[in-house]
Amino acid sequence: MLTFPEEIVLLLLDEKTGEFLPLPESVFAVVMGGAALMELELNNRIDTDLEKLMVVDRTPLGDNILDDALAGLAGICDKRSEVPIPGALYEAALNAEDYRSWALKRLIAHGVLLEESGRHLWVFRTRRYPVTDDHEQQEVRARLRQVLLSDEIPDPRDVVLICLIAACALMSFVLSEAEFDAAVPRVEQLRKMDLIGQAVTRAASETDAIIKFAATTM
Amino acid sequence: MDISQERDGDVVVVRLAGRLDSSAATAAEEQLSAALAVSPPRVAIDMSNLTYISSAGLRVLLVLAKKVQQQKGKVVLGGLAANVREVFTVSGFDTIFPIEADAAAAVAAAR
Repeated sequence: MLTFPEEIVLLLLDEKTGEFLPLPESVFAVVMGGAALMELELNNRIDTDLEKLMVVDRTPLGDNILDDALAGLAGICDKRSEVPIPGALYEAALNAEDYRSWALKRLIAHGVLLEESGRHLWVFRTRRYPVTDDHEQQEVRARLRQVLLSDEIPDPRDVVLICLIAACALMSFVLSEAEFDAAVPRVEQLRKMDLIGQAVTRAASETDAIIKFAATTM
Repeated sequence: MDISQERDGDVVVVRLAGRLDSSAATAAEEQLSAALAVSPPRVAIDMSNLTYISSAGLRVLLVLAKKVQQQKGKVVLGGLAANVREVFTVSGFDTIFPIEADAAAAVAAAR
């Protein structure tokens, strides 16, 4: 099973071209940081309530992304008695670019992706990552469709994936436009169910709003 | 955290007391799974002495709700303190679980 940071990297790759879909770097950073935190949460390394995040187990998981995020959080917890969830999210988001590159390396090593180098306009180096094994993505898509288009109670991993996909505005990965229009209340219901996911949603939408505001006023 | 279980007719009544957080989640999950032995399960969870619930606690309840739905049973919560109720409202878990004012009402609703 892929971790959430790996899932996000796969999700953000265009299936046809193998290139990354356009997403503001700051939105990508909070989504990637959130993915790491939520994976730590489901691995019982951290816990949260409405206000704060607690590190409850500092034992490394043997995953460079998760262990780096855990060490960062543990460092903050050594200095402060309480860590607000947004603060923890921004701490994890600081290393999002490293996490993308580590996740890519692992997906290539596991045979999920290929790495192809090329040149754009004969000058600029480009990299593409065609998907070679998409069975896990297909399974995730089918499971999330089932949860979103019915009253089925989701499992905790489904809730996290829905939060992350919605934060990237990539529900088209799972639903057609017409299905999404009908499923908006269900998406909103499910994306609230993880407290870190709520912080990711807020941070991503605030960042996106700032970028849109800047674009319309320049 | 203290967890106890009893039967009231065909309803299993689970009483949670104290803090349901990551340190209590495994024990709570085991106890709640035991409440699903009869199919379809009818479970009332008395939360009147639950003082705190974290994300780990919410996940335990979510997994329980999913299993109950798969077995076409019913799970009802009762007696939530205001701070616990707030967690359910903010997280939307109040749209997943029927919530009654007290344990007796939860048992009646679970029948």
